[in-house]
Amino acid sequence: MSAVASSPGALERARELLREFPVADGHNDLPWALRQQVRYDLAARDIATDQSTHLHTDLARLRAGGVGAQFWSVYVRSDLPGPVTATLEQIDCVRQLIDRHPGDLRAALTAADMEAARAEGRIASLMGAEGGHSIDNSLATLRQLYELGVRYMTLTHNDNNAWADSATDEPGVGGLSAFGREVVKEMNRLGMLVDLSHVAATTMRAALDTSVAPVIFSHSSARAVCDHPRNVPDDVLERLPANGGVAMVTFVPKFVLQAAVEWTRAADENMRAHGFHHLDTTAEAMQVHRAFEETRPRPVATVSTVADHLDHMREVAGIDHLGIDGDYDGTAFTPDGLDDVSGYPNLIAELLDRGWSRTDLAKLTWQNAVRVLGAAEDVARDLRSRTAPSNATIEQLDGIERPAG
Amino acid sequence: MADLHDELREPTEVGELDPPAARPGRHPGQSPPGAPAASATGTSDIPADLLPDLLTRAHALLAAHPVADGYSGLPRALRRLHWYDLELGEGAVDTDVPRLRRGHVGALFCALHLPDGLSGERAVSATLEQMDVVRTAVRAHPEALRLAQGAGQTADARNCGRTAVLLGPASAVALGDSPGILRCLHALGLKVLTLSGVSWAGEAGPTAFGEEMVREMNRLGVLADLSGASDATAARVLTVSRAPVVCARSGARALRPHPANLPDDLLRRLGVARGLCLVPLTAEQTGPSVRDVADHLDHVRALAGPECVGLSGTYDSGTTHPQDLADASCYPHLIAELLLRGWPEDHLTRLTWGNVQRVLRGADFAARAVQQRKQPSTARITELDG
Repeated sequence: MSAVASSPGALERARELLREFPVADGHNDLPWALRQQVRYDLAARDIATDQSTHLHTDLARLRAGGVGAQFWSVYVRSDLPGPVTATLEQIDCVRQLIDRHPGDLRAALTAADMEAARAEGRIASLMGAEGGHSIDNSLATLRQLYELGVRYMTLTHNDNNAWADSATDEPGVGGLSAFGREVVKEMNRLGMLVDLSHVAATTMRAALDTSVAPVIFSHSSARAVCDHPRNVPDDVLERLPANGGVAMVTFVPKFVLQAAVEWTRAADENMRAHGFHHLDTTAEAMQVHRAFEETRPRPVATVSTVADHLDHMREVAGIDHLGIDGDYDGTAFTPDGLDDVSGYPNLIAELLDRGWSRTDLAKLTWQNAVRVLGAAEDVARDLRSRTAPSNATIEQLDGIERPAG
Repeated sequence: MADLHDELREPTEVGELDPPAARPGRHPGQSPPGAPAASATGTSDIPADLLPDLLTRAHALLAAHPVADGYSGLPRALRRLHWYDLELGEGAVDTDVPRLRRGHVGALFCALHLPDGLSGERAVSATLEQMDVVRTAVRAHPEALRLAQGAGQTADARNCGRTAVLLGPASAVALGDSPGILRCLHALGLKVLTLSGVSWAGEAGPTAFGEEMVREMNRLGVLADLSGASDATAARVLTVSRAPVVCARSGARALRPHPANLPDDLLRRLGVARGLCLVPLTAEQTGPSVRDVADHLDHVRALAGPECVGLSGTYDSGTTHPQDLADASCYPHLIAELLLRGWPEDHLTRLTWGNVQRVLRGADFAARAVQQRKQPSTARITELDG
């Protein structure tokens, strides 16, 4: 890990703060990494032992990083067949991880579970689905994912789905379709957080118009600081106080550092030219990346780059609407000083140096994330007492035929 | 505590000294007396003068030992029927709360079977949707229905005056050839899985992957259903499985040559393995009258033993039912017929409730034992079956 230029004592104060208010991280792709690397052979990548040669994540580094709650992403690629099947396998992976490490991980379904885990000194383990393709255009499937413990769903991944537009695809339905709005309402009814990372700005606005519960951005930074479609524009950040939601700043260099945006575009081209998916992080794929770096040096983001985003987002959305997300094991590159899940104290130290108060930092790392899940539960309790599960179909609302089952 | 009571009523479970085949001889009443034949002209098989008394006895027996119905097609029937109200009675289906109460149904297995032709992702998805239908129905009727998975929860639901609703049997295609999905479906409540329609449990019997899936089912406590499975699969699974197996919809092939009905040798083996043959109440598989169903029950009891026979109403599955057994309220009539045939009370209580409790308990017990030794399976069909 490279040296971080925080003032003397700041790092120690950061660690001390994290002991009381640990990081609730919005998105970690360990399950996908385990699927890709060892096909869920959890003994082959035992996170109770040092995995720093293969993964960003293991238990010792989570502890060192002061992580107290983790939304494990049950992401599946949207361009492969069988998203529901793969999502269930990802969920199974998280459940197995929790079962294997009962001393360190605690299954969490509610804000109260998160607090209980913190009190016990265990890492609250929640699940988030990354992309509406995981429900196969079916509200019944959405409900079963909730039953299995999924507590947020990102409405899209990098591609549009039938009912929502992605930030990184051409405009499709222009935000949310009628069925897309029904999905958001059903998520409100269930108490599943609506995650607006990855979605187009039109979708963000449509979802904010529709949702009666607070929304989250599980891993997105500020578009005003780094102009990338994956980041949140200011007009949307400005709506978070009224909505009560939380934007969790991501560390991914290609989203936070303007110079890295360009470089990544070229690097992705290079990956595809070598026959790899551009998000592939397997050893072979990373070799191709390293070779590319030889010819064209990679712009390096730092802790300070991420802090710049937080300063701006705090300005626009307010301290009660910020969170943290590393996107570890879901990104090929990480900023200097935030190289893996042990790096969070460096960010907190930087923010202490920038004059963030203890109260502010407690909200950033822990309290806002817990509050938003609790608020979603409150809304759900109310809606469930008044409304029945939605039977709407995409055929009825959008006129899209879905094969009968 | 009801669980313990069940144990006490079934001393054979502890000792297992009596070979099942020895039992029928002790009950000469099992061969139909002449009386039912004489009354075959009426709407009922039972002589009119005996019926009231027999029905009274049947109701009394069922009140204490309700029916655990091994197969209901309700999830599919309700799927397009969003306005249903099971509490007040629902004419569009064969099963609703008033009729479940009249029929003394204490537990109901809700089948998640899929229409033919679905496979892969669609099958997984469609199974989740059927589970959603069941969950929604149970939530909508909390005074009458309660979701249950194991033996304890089933008994608890009953003791609270609810009908225990169990999820399954589901089709094996619902697993998408993945033990991870089996675990997820189990986490969602799945209790029974039918081993047919997949490459790993075909005509030639289970493949290496198929046997691994049976072991994983044992580890989780998911019962294997062999109705409709190939003979080779049925024979092998009886050997491999560490938990009792069920045949969720099987009569006796000796009486009616339906492919899902079991041949005599398999019935005997099922008895030795202490599995459970749940006899369906359908005209197609068991015949058009109450007497026909009773004949199947007599036959299965004789070959597999009284602890290995149970009932599957098979209501709302799109099949025709025998006369006088048209819906979920009709079980007392069937019990009356069996009383007339001289079934002793302990055989009847096992038939209706005890045997299902036994196999549920057996599956739960096996799961606890296997979990001590076996990690979750990471088997992949491409590696094991090529």
